Amino acid sequence: MRIKIIRLAIIGLFVLIAVDLIYVQVIRGQYFYHLSTNNRIRIVPLEGWRGRIEDRNGKILADRRVSYNVMVAPQDLLDQQELFRYLAKVLSVDQKKIEETYAQKKHALFAPVVVAEDIGRDKAIILEENKYLYPSLIVQEGFRRSYPLGKNSAHVLGYVGKINRVQKEKFKEYGYSPQSMIGYSGVEEYYDAYLKGEEGGLQIEVNSRGQQVQLLSLKEPATGQDIRLTIDSDIQQIAMDVLEGKTGVIIVMDMANGEVLGMTSVPAYDPNVFVDVKEQSQIARLFNNSSAPLLNRAIKGLFPPGSVFKVPVAIGGLDSRKITMHTTYHCDGSYEVGGMTFRCTHAHGPENLIESLAHSCNIYYYRLGLVLGADMIQQYARQLGLGSLTHIDLPYEESGHVPSRRQRSLRKKEQWYTGDTLNLSIGQGGLLVTPMQMIRMMATVANSGMELQPHVIKAIGGITVDQYDLKGDIKISREALETVQKGMREAVTNYSGTAHALDLPELYVAGKTGTAQTSGDQLSHAWFVGYAKGEARNIAFCVFLEHGDSSQNACLAARELLLGMQAKDLL
Amino acid sequence: MKRDLAKKIWIYTVMIVVMGLAALYSASYKNVRVPQTIFYDQLVFSLAGFMIMYLLGKIDYRKFYDVAHAFYILNIVLLVLVLISGRYALGARRWLDIGGFSFQPSELMKLSLILMLGAYFSDRRPRLPYGFFSQTQMIFWDLLIPLGITIVPMVLIFKQPDLGTSILLFGIFLSMLFATALEYRYIWGLLGVCLAATPFAWNVLKPYQKDRLLVFLNPNIDPLGAGYTIIQSKIAIGSGQIFGKGWLSGTQNQLNFLPERHTDFIFSVIGEEWGLVGAICLLTLYFLLIYTSLDIANQVKDKFGMFVSIGVVAILTLQVVINIGMVAGLFPVVGLTLPFVSYGRSSFLIFVIMMGFLLNLSKRRTIF
Repeated sequence: MRIKIIRLAIIGLFVLIAVDLIYVQVIRGQYFYHLSTNNRIRIVPLEGWRGRIEDRNGKILADRRVSYNVMVAPQDLLDQQELFRYLAKVLSVDQKKIEETYAQKKHALFAPVVVAEDIGRDKAIILEENKYLYPSLIVQEGFRRSYPLGKNSAHVLGYVGKINRVQKEKFKEYGYSPQSMIGYSGVEEYYDAYLKGEEGGLQIEVNSRGQQVQLLSLKEPATGQDIRLTIDSDIQQIAMDVLEGKTGVIIVMDMANGEVLGMTSVPAYDPNVFVDVKEQSQIARLFNNSSAPLLNRAIKGLFPPGSVFKVPVAIGGLDSRKITMHTTYHCDGSYEVGGMTFRCTHAHGPENLIESLAHSCNIYYYRLGLVLGADMIQQYARQLGLGSLTHIDLPYEESGHVPSRRQRSLRKKEQWYTGDTLNLSIGQGGLLVTPMQMIRMMATVANSGMELQPHVIKAIGGITVDQYDLKGDIKISREALETVQKGMREAVTNYSGTAHALDLPELYVAGKTGTAQTSGDQLSHAWFVGYAKGEARNIAFCVFLEHGDSSQNACLAARELLLGMQAKDLL
Repeated sequence: MKRDLAKKIWIYTVMIVVMGLAALYSASYKNVRVPQTIFYDQLVFSLAGFMIMYLLGKIDYRKFYDVAHAFYILNIVLLVLVLISGRYALGARRWLDIGGFSFQPSELMKLSLILMLGAYFSDRRPRLPYGFFSQTQMIFWDLLIPLGITIVPMVLIFKQPDLGTSILLFGIFLSMLFATALEYRYIWGLLGVCLAATPFAWNVLKPYQKDRLLVFLNPNIDPLGAGYTIIQSKIAIGSGQIFGKGWLSGTQNQLNFLPERHTDFIFSVIGEEWGLVGAICLLTLYFLLIYTSLDIANQVKDKFGMFVSIGVVAILTLQVVINIGMVAGLFPVVGLTLPFVSYGRSSFLIFVIMMGFLLNLSKRRTIF
């Protein structure tokens, strides 16, 4: 009787097991089959190599090199102490530090932990040779950016780093993975799509330890394209030397085609800092530095142009036929409007347009400004590209600001006073431009109305980029521009010209100085924007010294620049 | 008729062993972690096992009755020895090395307990419960003494620690107790007390045993630690689907995703490579073997023989059901082997002896 019950119980248990097997293997079989496939197939990404960046003469500005990382696989780690002692000896670092890194980064049994990065070729070889003693040791080959010239061209180049979360989301569809390196600022960012190598990958079958059993398929990583810039690293070096110890910008642009030959912003940074993981504190120092070394002042710095703005005002006066080149105003050192006195540097006496540009007479432009009116000044400034993007092929350019009556009444509900017109006439009063805009304006004037598109790219992957060789004509009369050219030449050649320091033999130099007042007690900004016609090429150039005091300082710096270029046959 | 039952026992056992060997071959195929030597080891031992089984069939099973008590006491001594000086492996002290030969006394205890309880129950004469004293006497002699016989080795094995075997012993005791003439109310009473004691038992468990039970309730608590084995074995069995991935081609097995696949988790290899078809085949063989054993228990006239065969039926059923259930994620992970299939000499030897006993019984069941 009881045996019958036992028999029933046994049948019940076996039926239970059979039903469970049917449930697991038939009903949920597909699901588990899928899981088992995922279990054994891994994708191992292979990093594509980033393209090189070279200057116009083929000198390498941004290179790539092989780097070696040391990783430890936790599941194969037998004698932790011994391995770390060995690693500490070979890498000549503190054993405790390795242990700490390992403990911090270890998160799963099967995931290798990076304990040392970029250890150098010699050490990598030593480790690789002794690998058989330590099965958990992995030496992984990777790629590193290097900038052989350091600070030279730093702002043009930008730097590279690990992709951040925002960009990862944004660029996921373009083949960026969480491990991707991506360019930040400069050419590295603007041309990242070309520079970036295409990531490849191995599809491998692995065992439970994640060790490769067999290769299922391979997609070769592709190397990114090399980029050639219009930048001349020699000019950059000269500019760096000229600006040594100062804060400022030097831009040199080819007047014929808009190629930027040099763009230096000081203080600069060494982009290698961002590559080296050990330099975290230096990176923080760069970000926190009050003189903003990461800021590319050439395209992101906004400054009042000061007297350089007299160039568009003069052009406006001539083009609108409100004045001629012979129109003369008398300067007696000050000018009174509405109870306020506006001053000039000297009492220049009677001045015509050419003289006013050569002497940079404020009174002349106060009166010319009143004749023209604020709206016209704004219109001509806009037409010459001030207050708008130059669309140079670098990211994060600032557009600046040209104040206008309309904008002021709409935005601020404030009235425009005559005094505002006077301030605007000499490049003050809320007018903000970038050095890049000034040099483009100067090139347009020097080219008698032919507007260029400034750019830094010369070739991508050996193919010359000509999209930027744009030449447009602005609707300003040629005569007006040529008259102003004469005035700017006079500033250099005349003994009393503001830029007489630049009167160099065997070189045609013309330009306009500027001393822009800044708020508070700080020193004025010093400008010199001009152009030079040498034997080798014609260039437009801009020297800007932030809080550089008198424009004479800018002239002297420009002189140094031109002499330096001449000495190296770059002009 | 009697030859028929013996033949059945032989056929089912050999078929199960052959299936097990095939699975073991696959589990150790071209593998570093599970060396191929274990397959040959098991092969040789199976052949030796069949010899033992055959020889035991010749010896009069009453001899087992004579040695049952001595065997039991010796085994208790061995268990104590294990706790004192056993070999430590996989976080438990289960192995005893004697003269270069190592074995697990806890495996042997399953046999000793069956024999001991069989001898004890068969000596008891049925009494009529008259009055209070005779009733307490009956509870004492028919329930508490056999319970004590079981609890002593249970505690010793639990200390090793080995929760699975320890629970198994209790299962054997319950089954054999059920086969006595003891009234149901006492059996239910015992079960009730045990159930009530469960919460207290929780505190006795080792942390890893608690982990296993918690992981059974939700394997995803710790997918790389305690839950890893159960998740991987479930994936293995499930991915076999109806016809399996084919012998030597189970990816979970061949790529080492299955830990302990040559011992406790061997069924996951079968499920993965031979699918539902193979799994049900093996399950059916076990069922037929157990059913035949139960037939023997039913037909044997001798009480000792009956109790021992009930014990054998109980241990076979419990180990098969718990092992497969645990591999398929139905029960928590407790270290129990799959009879005749899992690699392991002690386990194999015990079951071979039990089968020998049944063979013997099938031949002599009409003696009295």
